[in-house]
Amino acid sequence: MSTTAFDPLLIAVVAPLALAATIALGAPKKWVVRLAYAGFGIPALMALLVWWRFGGEPREAHGFAFLSSYSTGLERFGIGLKLGLNGISLAMFVLAGLVGLAAGLYAIQSGAERLKTYLLLLLVMQAGLMGMFASVDIFFFYFFHELALIPTFIMVGIWGGRDRSYAAMTMTIYLTAGAMLSLLGLIAIYVKSGASSFDLLVLRDALASRPLGETLQRHVFGLLLFGFGILVSLWPFHSWAPLGYGAAPSSAAMLHAGVLKKFGLYGLIQIALPLLPFGAVHWSHPLALVAGVGNVLVIGLVTMAQRDLKQMVGYSSVMHMGYAFLGIAAGTAMGVGGVVLLMFGHGLSVALLFLLSTSVHRRTQTFDMGQMGGLAQGAPVLAALFLLATFASVGLPGFANFWGELSIFVSLWGFSHALTVVALTGTVVSAVYGLRAAARVFYGPQSDALARVVAGNAPRDMAWAEKAPALLLAAALLFVGLWPRSLSTGINQALQEAPAAVAEYR
Amino acid sequence: MTPTAAALAVLLLPLASAATITLFLGRRPQGAATLSVVTAFLVAALALWLAFSGARFSQSWEWLRLGSFSVGVGIKFDDLAALMLSVVGVIGLCVHVFSLGYMAGDPGRARYFGGLSIFMFSMVGIVLADNLFMMFIFWELVGFSSYFLINHWRERQSAADASKKAFIVNRVGDFGFLLGIILCYWANGTVSLGTVGQTPPVVFSRLIPLLLFCGAVGKSAQLPLQIWLPDAMEGPTPVSALIHAATMVAAGIYMLCRVDFLMVGQARQVIAWVGALTALYAALCAITHRDIKKVLAYSTISQLGYMVAAFGLGSVGAAMFHLTTHAFFKALLFLGAGSVILGCHHEQDIFRLGGLRRRMPLTFWTFTVAVAAITGVPFLAGFFSKDAILALSYERSGAIFTVLALTAVLTAFYMLRLWKIVFLGEPRSEAASHSHESGVSVTAPLVLLAALSLVGGYWRAYPGGFGGVFSLIPEAEGAARAVVLATSIAVLLVGAGAALSFYRCDGDDSLKVGFPSLFGLLSVARTSFDTAYDYYVAKVQQRLAMVLNFIDIVGLAGVVVRGLAGATEIVGFGIRALHTGRLSSYVYWFLGGVVILWAYAAGVL
Repeated sequence: MSTTAFDPLLIAVVAPLALAATIALGAPKKWVVRLAYAGFGIPALMALLVWWRFGGEPREAHGFAFLSSYSTGLERFGIGLKLGLNGISLAMFVLAGLVGLAAGLYAIQSGAERLKTYLLLLLVMQAGLMGMFASVDIFFFYFFHELALIPTFIMVGIWGGRDRSYAAMTMTIYLTAGAMLSLLGLIAIYVKSGASSFDLLVLRDALASRPLGETLQRHVFGLLLFGFGILVSLWPFHSWAPLGYGAAPSSAAMLHAGVLKKFGLYGLIQIALPLLPFGAVHWSHPLALVAGVGNVLVIGLVTMAQRDLKQMVGYSSVMHMGYAFLGIAAGTAMGVGGVVLLMFGHGLSVALLFLLSTSVHRRTQTFDMGQMGGLAQGAPVLAALFLLATFASVGLPGFANFWGELSIFVSLWGFSHALTVVALTGTVVSAVYGLRAAARVFYGPQSDALARVVAGNAPRDMAWAEKAPALLLAAALLFVGLWPRSLSTGINQALQEAPAAVAEYR
Repeated sequence: MTPTAAALAVLLLPLASAATITLFLGRRPQGAATLSVVTAFLVAALALWLAFSGARFSQSWEWLRLGSFSVGVGIKFDDLAALMLSVVGVIGLCVHVFSLGYMAGDPGRARYFGGLSIFMFSMVGIVLADNLFMMFIFWELVGFSSYFLINHWRERQSAADASKKAFIVNRVGDFGFLLGIILCYWANGTVSLGTVGQTPPVVFSRLIPLLLFCGAVGKSAQLPLQIWLPDAMEGPTPVSALIHAATMVAAGIYMLCRVDFLMVGQARQVIAWVGALTALYAALCAITHRDIKKVLAYSTISQLGYMVAAFGLGSVGAAMFHLTTHAFFKALLFLGAGSVILGCHHEQDIFRLGGLRRRMPLTFWTFTVAVAAITGVPFLAGFFSKDAILALSYERSGAIFTVLALTAVLTAFYMLRLWKIVFLGEPRSEAASHSHESGVSVTAPLVLLAALSLVGGYWRAYPGGFGGVFSLIPEAEGAARAVVLATSIAVLLVGAGAALSFYRCDGDDSLKVGFPSLFGLLSVARTSFDTAYDYYVAKVQQRLAMVLNFIDIVGLAGVVVRGLAGATEIVGFGIRALHTGRLSSYVYWFLGGVVILWAYAAGVL
């Protein structure tokens, strides 16, 4: 495996880190914002570049392309910085690049206090996110996740809204616990595989010829499921999510809910399903039951009861993760591929909703939907974008989320009839809370509270700096919504092995 | 131009128009209006050319593939699609042109015309779709388009509520529809309209047909999901015309006709009864309303009931025939009502109108044609299609025949009530006495639609056109023919005669004055569904949500998390010791940890 001269994956990881270091080491003040533009722009450009080139790139082992290895000095533990993408990680890599750029642009114009430190932490997070999905080595996959996770806690603790200390603490405890459990599972795979390597491709080959014992698979998959599950807000371990997102500053919420949270699902799909197919089958029924009834139905109804806009978006995100777990439980290429598409669509739409919620707050000075109303008259562009994000997240065709949900629903029927009905009920529930929120915030006559805030001056609509990141996310949602094959072809190639292995155990 | 290219153009032109308006013409309402109307004209022209040139074809492309699951985008252009596409094109064009006048002074005009274009795109997609997944996709987009246009006057609370209700109620129907499609996919391995029909499809007794029917119940406003449609009158009147005549509600009937091959006897029976009861119920509701648009809205529900009943009784031909003629006269009725509303400064209460016959003669005469058509005056469009349905029901089911005949009496009754009170007598308000006819963009569509309402019934006589559909229209023979004809004329005379002689042109509802208890009963019947649903939403659903929310916060976040408080406190205590409130300290701790770990792992320590 050679190290190519121009490696877009490495650049996407190193550039934001290097620029963050430059900022930290005392770059002149006027340079900070420009460096930040570059730090968010370069990964996004690299992501688009690999997306563009992916179709024509030669496939190496297990459908991966762009493979390259770098020495780390840790080879005696079987750890090496190995980068590469298959169709699944490509989708997530592109998601990370786009949401990162949007979150960065939004942060730059946010006027946050101590902007320099804020941008610095976001850049570190961005590097972690790009590295997470580009890593073929499980150790670095995990390492980059932690690299992105720690800044999140700090950002919630410092720039958070109300209850930020409690939120930061809860988030830290839950997510650290989830990360620890999944680390335990990953180490178990490393130890028991006998491959003495963290390289996913090596592990796949090793376990394909000598699968782990069934009892062991059950236990290890369980560890991964609970660990990753907590990170993805599997019911009833979801309480951190609405609380944390409610308190988090917008760009941190965008990056965490949009991208970082997908780590758990990605780990289940890319590591747990192919390596532990028996474990996956063993756990699929309890998982589907909890995800269907807990995440989709119960949390769906809880979402309806929210008055706080940001909390509502947080709960809705927990609910939609239920669909993702259902697709994983179904375990077919149709279901799991749907999960990847949903992860992509949901990542964009939830980031967009967090962004727009903050823009709403800027104009209304509140997140309480009971006090809002009639914002569309003064801010039609904001209203239109919010409506677009809402319809994307309720699964309207034309947006990326729809393809994910549709594939999951169809595949689910082959797994459980009852849970398909439950999942479909969710489509009605999400339409109820989504449209209710849009109507409360934007439509009808202007509310008294809003009238007081604007005191005669109509609220201004979004300026270009505020609008640009939102348009970026909206454009990506529509592009994949209209042209799903831009991602699904690669995803389908990447899903030749794992679902077949899972099917053997059914 | 090949037929395939023309069909793609019909589909994609409105999308291009909507995209252009959204991106570039948001601040240029005149440009947006022009573009949208020109697009509608091209769509109508191409649609008619396709329909009458006799081109019939099908073609499809893959849109998404995951494992064995494949969704295609394709065109199935047969006689059924050709007929529907012509109706959509012609009515769409009329509505676009009418909107030029109706929306002339509206500040949100660009948004409005963009919405019309996206509506056309969605509807054309349903018409052309060659598989059920694709149909569902455009089906949802039609739901979105209607949401968008009903909510056009977004500063109104009532519009916000109505649009939300329309979308959500439709989603309830779509729940069943999508489930039906998924079942069909698993049972037959495909949802392509071309291949499912070739072998006898698996339908799980009557499960799949009835689930698919749920979609039509939502979109075509059948019992018990009819509640969104009267509220949808909050949108601008041309939108109501579009929704009620050619697009949204017609989509439900069209979809049923598309999946005709999946139907089985028991399912048809249910469908026929739902349609017949809807027809009767909505006609009863229409009698007591004061709002000109809402009377027409209930009339639409009632007529859709007719079509659904016709389909349930086994005749795609009768259902589609009535859909076609209904599209002409219902579009005309709505646009006529729009003309009245425009001429009377947005007065919609029929008891505050009156005497418009003299002041708005053109609107009066065209509206009269429409009323004559819908009530079934012989040799007008509605007469033929309604008789086809009556003949069909007479042959198949005496009970349904009775219900539909009764509905026809009521139809004549409420339509003549509306006609008499709006147009005859003396003006009863300032607005009505200063009413005036509007410009040519408003009146020209009225004249065109009036012509179609006059001759639309003979369309089936056109030789090359839509044989695949119109050859399926049932006709009564011998004695049955005489019975149906006599019934149909008797029904018209009784209903119309009663309304004309009973209602007086004064400021109040004669029925309310003369028979207050009957009037009250009908009003209660009309609002009963809304009352029940409101009760469910406020008292059951929302309370359940609040209880679950309480459990979520107190039960999980509170008890479970605090249950871990032992561990939490210890960790928290440790973290507090490190918590100096300075950011740099966190970063140093983190970096220090990483360096130590790395050094250990790399064998330095």
